[in-house]
Amino acid sequence: MNLLQYVPGDSFLHKLNPVTKLFAAFLYGVACIVTQSVWVEIVLIMLMLAISTLAGLQKRALHLAKNLFILGLFMFVLQLLFVRTGEPLLVYNNFCFFTTGGLSSALLLSFRIIGTMLPLMLLFAITQMNDLCSALVKCLHVPYKYAFIVTTAFRFVPLFTTEFHDIEDAQKARGVEYDTKNFFKKMSLIAPLFVPLLISSLKKVDSGAVSAELRGFHLRTVKSGYKEYPFGLQDGICAVCILCLIAGAAVL
Amino acid sequence: MISFEDFSFCYMGSEEKALSNLSLQIEKGEFVGIIGNSGAGKSTFTYALSGIVPHHFQGDFYGMVKVNGLDTVNVAPEKLAEFVGEVFQDIDSQMVASVVEDEILFGLENFGFSKEEIKKRLEQSLEMLGISDLRYRQISSLSGGQKQKVAIASILALEPEIIVLDEPTGELDPESTVMIFEILKRLNKEFGKTVIIVEQKIMMLCEYAERLLVLEQGKLVYDGKSKDIVEHVELFEELGINVPRVVKLGLRLKEEGLYQGKIPTNVKEAEEMLKEVLAC
Amino acid sequence: MLTFDKVSFAYPDAKETINQLSFHIEKGEMVSLIGSNGAGKSTISRLANGLLLPTAGKVYVDGADTQRTKTSAIAKKVGFLFQNPDRQICQNSVYDEIAFGLKVQGFSKEETDRRTKEVLETFSLKGDWFPFTRSRGERQRIALASVLVTKPELVILDEPTTGLDYRECIMIMDYLTQLNKTENVTVLMVSHDMELVQEYAKRVLVLTRGRLVGDGNTNAIMKDMSILSKANVIPAQIPTLALKFGDRFSDVYTIEEMVDAIKKEKQQGKGEVAS
Repeated sequence: MNLLQYVPGDSFLHKLNPVTKLFAAFLYGVACIVTQSVWVEIVLIMLMLAISTLAGLQKRALHLAKNLFILGLFMFVLQLLFVRTGEPLLVYNNFCFFTTGGLSSALLLSFRIIGTMLPLMLLFAITQMNDLCSALVKCLHVPYKYAFIVTTAFRFVPLFTTEFHDIEDAQKARGVEYDTKNFFKKMSLIAPLFVPLLISSLKKVDSGAVSAELRGFHLRTVKSGYKEYPFGLQDGICAVCILCLIAGAAVL
Repeated sequence: MISFEDFSFCYMGSEEKALSNLSLQIEKGEFVGIIGNSGAGKSTFTYALSGIVPHHFQGDFYGMVKVNGLDTVNVAPEKLAEFVGEVFQDIDSQMVASVVEDEILFGLENFGFSKEEIKKRLEQSLEMLGISDLRYRQISSLSGGQKQKVAIASILALEPEIIVLDEPTGELDPESTVMIFEILKRLNKEFGKTVIIVEQKIMMLCEYAERLLVLEQGKLVYDGKSKDIVEHVELFEELGINVPRVVKLGLRLKEEGLYQGKIPTNVKEAEEMLKEVLAC
Repeated sequence: MLTFDKVSFAYPDAKETINQLSFHIEKGEMVSLIGSNGAGKSTISRLANGLLLPTAGKVYVDGADTQRTKTSAIAKKVGFLFQNPDRQICQNSVYDEIAFGLKVQGFSKEETDRRTKEVLETFSLKGDWFPFTRSRGERQRIALASVLVTKPELVILDEPTTGLDYRECIMIMDYLTQLNKTENVTVLMVSHDMELVQEYAKRVLVLTRGRLVGDGNTNAIMKDMSILSKANVIPAQIPTLALKFGDRFSDVYTIEEMVDAIKKEKQQGKGEVAS
């Protein structure tokens, strides 16, 4: 499953202005950072999952949460072993493994990671990159060139992934052993993968640039956009909700 | 409409000229097929038409290329784009958007047309290629033939008088290939567009293109009607171009003294020929 | 040499599926696989060298189950030429590129050098060329040379003629035919160029939506319009023409056969008139 892929739909989340979506996702992350309570953190994550389910993105959200959980677990272990405040909790032969302070800060940190990343990752599921780009240019007057570079980079990710797999296949078919367990041998076999990828990327990027140039890329102005991205009532409601959320998170 | 006057081009860093001493004219409304071996300069020819040579790919430029009376050296490619639209070989990398509609909007927005004009042109170009139902689809979910149609639509939206295509059917299967050629035929006949296409499938060119240009190592070695290839079969064989089997059959029958009529270029004509041969 | 035993395959996103496919290719055969885009041709060729593993059923390469054999071991027996040579070429000179395949398969230095020089000669390539800037045809030739240098017993070609002109096509196909005759190399080529298939393959497998709808002698398939229309290919001209005249040209597949058949008919006609 491609985690950056757009999931078509027409839920209330899809219908929000792309700029609202971007800021809401960002502020939701902020809320997860400002709160000092593990419980609020858990509530925020659950709330996010519930909202995604309402938007028909349950599968994606759970898949993401699972992946983020692994990252969170890793951070949990690190934090647990290195934070040394509070009372010792597990002591064996005078060696203290972890403390109460370590446990609580580890829990908070790992949930914080999940809570911050989840809305940002879900943003890609409900927003077309093109829309986000055009809306940023239209509403916030971000220079089109930069917005275009970012969307193009995102669009090229799946293209390059396929290309990479095909190159890997081509090299495997020649007998290059990528299934070898020897690390050094593996490293020496990386050139056959990256040289063709580099060559084909350069070609693709160049042909993309020419095609954009011929279709008047340099002529574009802020006024050029065809689609309008007006802010509506739902955007206002969303903004109020998200501000309440931050305030609540900061107080609790 | 298009004229090449003693045009030569040598890419920067290359020792050999990609094209040398090319002189020809292409009139409005022609359907021109270009064939030749790889490295013969076919792509360079299309680049010269759309101003990519010498504006994007630099090198030594000799002679003159004029499109609609404009010298391509003095005019920016985006200015030329009003007259010439080019579809490139690599289908995927020439796309700039992830949704069909946005792909077509890209050029229209850039050129700053009014909202009404954009809406009109968007719908019109989708209509012309028969892909109105694909409007909101993700490009990555389309088949090769459908993607190629989107690429053509996004060029057509800018309403150029000349459409240049560089091996548009290279990666397509026969069914989609015929479909693309049928569309080009319609654009040429119904909408009066000048179509210039680079293609390896000689059978398709014989059927659809009226005029044929053959390039060999940067030189123009044949410029004539595609129907007339029957008179130059030896030249084509020498150049390594696969002459349709029915043409060869016709010539063999003539050689044997069994047939005197017109040499067929497609199966239908060949059927007529055989009927005639068998009747007498 | 290659056996598919009730093979099924589905991609995770279920775009293309192979369904209960069975066929067997003997050593020394020259077989062509035809069908429209998305019929599963590329999937089959990747199943045949272990790049993909069947979700059900078995694929055997020279008796070895692909599920139990390492890809690198299969690669010693199966040479695979991809549609796009750029995915393969990864070295700075043509010599290194061709030698690379031998090196990864563990050939000795002397053997590598000997074979590489031999292949450079056969394919009229120069060892010191910088491969990335050569023309498409030359790059395809470099890729083929580096596949064949390891002397595989089965060669799979995934639309080898894409982007090549006719002359280069013929050159590659003639070379493979020769290998097939002299070294008994098995060839499986995926293509939709029916003229090429007719000229070079003796047997044709026809694929539609992951199912085998035809498997037989090339000449028989060439005239079976019900099968060809399912595969969405443009049939070869001479057999199509012959078909339009029913029984009169029942054994006609090539230009010369057509000319002979007409001559024969004429003579018979004259004979009838005279008597």
